[in-house]
Amino acid sequence: MKVARARAERFGGIVELESPRALLHVDRVMMEELGHARSPLWDLPPEGPLSAPTEVHVVLSRRCAAGCRGCYVGATPQGAALSHQEACRVLDELSAMGVFHVALGGGEALELDYLFAVAEHARRVGITPNLTTSGLGLDEQAAARCAIFGQINVSVDGVGEAYRSARGFDGYRHAERALRLLRAVKREVGVNCVVSRSSFERVGEVAALVRRLDLNELELLRFKPVGRGARLDEELTPEQGKRLWPMARRLVWRHRIRVKLDCSFAPMVFWHRPSARAAAFFGVQGCVGGDVLAAVQPEGALTGCSFAGRAEADALQPGAMQAAWGNGFGEFRNFVRDAPEPCASCEYLPLCRGGCRAVAQAHGPFVSPDPGCPRVQEHRGRRPLPVVAT
Amino acid sequence: MKLFRRGRVLQATFGCNPNSSSLGVDVTFLLFGSAFAAAMAVVLGALLRPSKDAR
Repeated sequence: MKVARARAERFGGIVELESPRALLHVDRVMMEELGHARSPLWDLPPEGPLSAPTEVHVVLSRRCAAGCRGCYVGATPQGAALSHQEACRVLDELSAMGVFHVALGGGEALELDYLFAVAEHARRVGITPNLTTSGLGLDEQAAARCAIFGQINVSVDGVGEAYRSARGFDGYRHAERALRLLRAVKREVGVNCVVSRSSFERVGEVAALVRRLDLNELELLRFKPVGRGARLDEELTPEQGKRLWPMARRLVWRHRIRVKLDCSFAPMVFWHRPSARAAAFFGVQGCVGGDVLAAVQPEGALTGCSFAGRAEADALQPGAMQAAWGNGFGEFRNFVRDAPEPCASCEYLPLCRGGCRAVAQAHGPFVSPDPGCPRVQEHRGRRPLPVVAT
Repeated sequence: MKLFRRGRVLQATFGCNPNSSSLGVDVTFLLFGSAFAAAMAVVLGALLRPSKDAR
């Protein structure tokens, strides 16, 4: 095993492995065994937010020609974008904070002619750049340059006609071609599939594609009613929410592929009562916005998540992100402490963290329980008995 | 007698995340349960220690 780098945390530290590619949380004793000096953070209680996010989603632009009907950033061909210099300055500061990975996205990041220069800069400052793309317009030359990324996922919300239904245009052939071109270049290529009410029954076809093209993962992303998606009625039904976890397990066994679910699916998983110890060990968590994860928007705002949260700092101002990190993001970080019912009495609350804040905010207050959680739905379905006078 | 305690791996996440929101559930690992997680912690800890000599 090769250690790429490590940083101290209250509980000990986080070690980044190059091979296998992994982030390990280790205790203080292990950090000392690995030769790291004692950290002042170890004088603090072990519980508390991380000293910096492990990953930041850098939304390079709201610029994309595809015009997908459910685009969560509302991208347009003339949307805002971080310049090359701005993106590099953001990466410099994230590196100084100890961030390990960035997810570069948009909009369509491949439409920016400086995307690869940004990725090279990330590598230079010790951050692993990862990419999400629609694959539209990707040619052999661009695919070869994509070797610089850690993981690349191509968005495929359905196979054939199902792609057109989900995205509003016929781009499936381009997406599959992009997957083949990228897979010829590197192993770490996967598929992102947004699971919506309409696409739920056809996710198996996407899993079969992942197997057929020998890709390394299928990431199932929950449809969120934000951006242009707010106009669509595509959230999972309560019945689909309960079937999500069994379906994901079935995809693993049937297609022999690695399946990941995004953090917003956590309530649908925990409702089935998986091992909490295993979940904690493998980092299975609900909303980690403003703690493990943060986002930089194309206009420069630092937010807890790309989908939700107020601007905590202007990431384009030198030192602003680091200054905001310590005491900011209260709306995300305090959810577990202040959780309302039925989250407050749920044994999985420390892991689930109340589900997705973006979905909650789309339906009500930011700090309300995720309305897609089966437990929340059951709780809200129970009407109090009428008081009968005697 | 002072007991010597070895360091522990507390959490492991594999791969890189290219998404805005996919720091969630790795179905593949969660399927194997808590015994697998405990074994994985021991194995990773054992493999990690020698790496300090290699650095």
